[in-house]
Amino acid sequence: MSARATTSEALTGFVKNLWAENPVFRALLGMCPTLAVTAAVKPALTMGLAATFVVVCANTLVSIMRHALTPHLRILMFTLTIAVFVTIADLFLKAFLPDMSEVLGPFVPLIIVNCMIIARAEACASKKPLFTAVMDGFGIGFGFTIALVMLATIREILGGGTWFDFRVLPTWWVPWTIMKLPAGAFITLGLMLAVIVHLQRRRQKPPQAA
Amino acid sequence: MSLIVIFLSIALVNNLVFMKFLGICPYLGVSKKTDMAFGMGLAVTFVLTLSATMTWIINNLVLVPLNLEFTKYIAFILVIASMVQLVEMYLRKFYKALYQSFGIFLPLITTNCAILGTCLFIDLWGYNFMEAVVAGFGGGLGFTLAICIMAGIREQLELADVPRALEGAGITLVTAGILTLAFMGFSGMVR
Repeated sequence: MSARATTSEALTGFVKNLWAENPVFRALLGMCPTLAVTAAVKPALTMGLAATFVVVCANTLVSIMRHALTPHLRILMFTLTIAVFVTIADLFLKAFLPDMSEVLGPFVPLIIVNCMIIARAEACASKKPLFTAVMDGFGIGFGFTIALVMLATIREILGGGTWFDFRVLPTWWVPWTIMKLPAGAFITLGLMLAVIVHLQRRRQKPPQAA
Repeated sequence: MSLIVIFLSIALVNNLVFMKFLGICPYLGVSKKTDMAFGMGLAVTFVLTLSATMTWIINNLVLVPLNLEFTKYIAFILVIASMVQLVEMYLRKFYKALYQSFGIFLPLITTNCAILGTCLFIDLWGYNFMEAVVAGFGGGLGFTLAICIMAGIREQLELADVPRALEGAGITLVTAGILTLAFMGFSGMVR
């Protein structure tokens, strides 16, 4: 296989993962952190970038050792690889962003059992060459970050009138407390999925003759 | 007394699914039929009680005295994976019927964040041994309750006329949101 073909395959994979096969909206993977950390934009962004780091590193390592993996032990190897990188990410956050680490709490270690990352290791990194796997990791990580930030934007603006801690809505705005609570997370994500499905349907429909 | 409070707190007030967002994947994925949901709930309760006990023992008797706490996550996930494996082998050997009813759910539990999450929360809250066991058991029962209620509602939803865009995941999430609102009625009863 020529180098150019691999490159184009890697780039298509990257773009596809960003939106068309977005892990949250299309595949419904990694729901726990999606719902838990999106009460505000800042923790959502931190979480997205931490997950990106983990998925890129895990994909790299899994892709390098893909020929050595035995079928019945591979899930365990994936999990251990991911656990190592999550520990690194967690220690990094504790050292440099202690307040974010406090807010995210156990949801950083919970990246270990994020099915999105295991799914990528299984479906892509354990079969594809290094470059494709790395680009796939970046695609899935950024797609996850985009989804998280979108959800957090809606929840933070409606729930507190701020975005990234800046006030965007006037002070007479009465915050919708429900948006900050778990119930708001479920309902917002459900409605967002509905909007996305609706838009997709409309695009797929053949344009009506005028 | 405090054990009862911990049990009620983790099963109802701080329900894993509704308040802590743990185990959302099986909660949304395996809640189409009530009997499957019940099987999943029981399997989770079983493994969660064992894992909470084992991780507490390993964390407090091995990792903390040896100053190896930075390997906590790796140790925890290994404990959980091997607990699941052990439970699976034990059930297959001695309780064939139970093993068949758990079926596919047991291996899936390794990647259920309710298990690892509860073990981490127990560590975070600094529970003692008995409290950890009770919290594991209560958390599992709370999860069973949540997933069974959800499955019951979804069986009825099959017959409902849902807007086309909301079909599937959308309506499930909105339903979960409304259920969460109902469970907020418990909040404030215990911290």
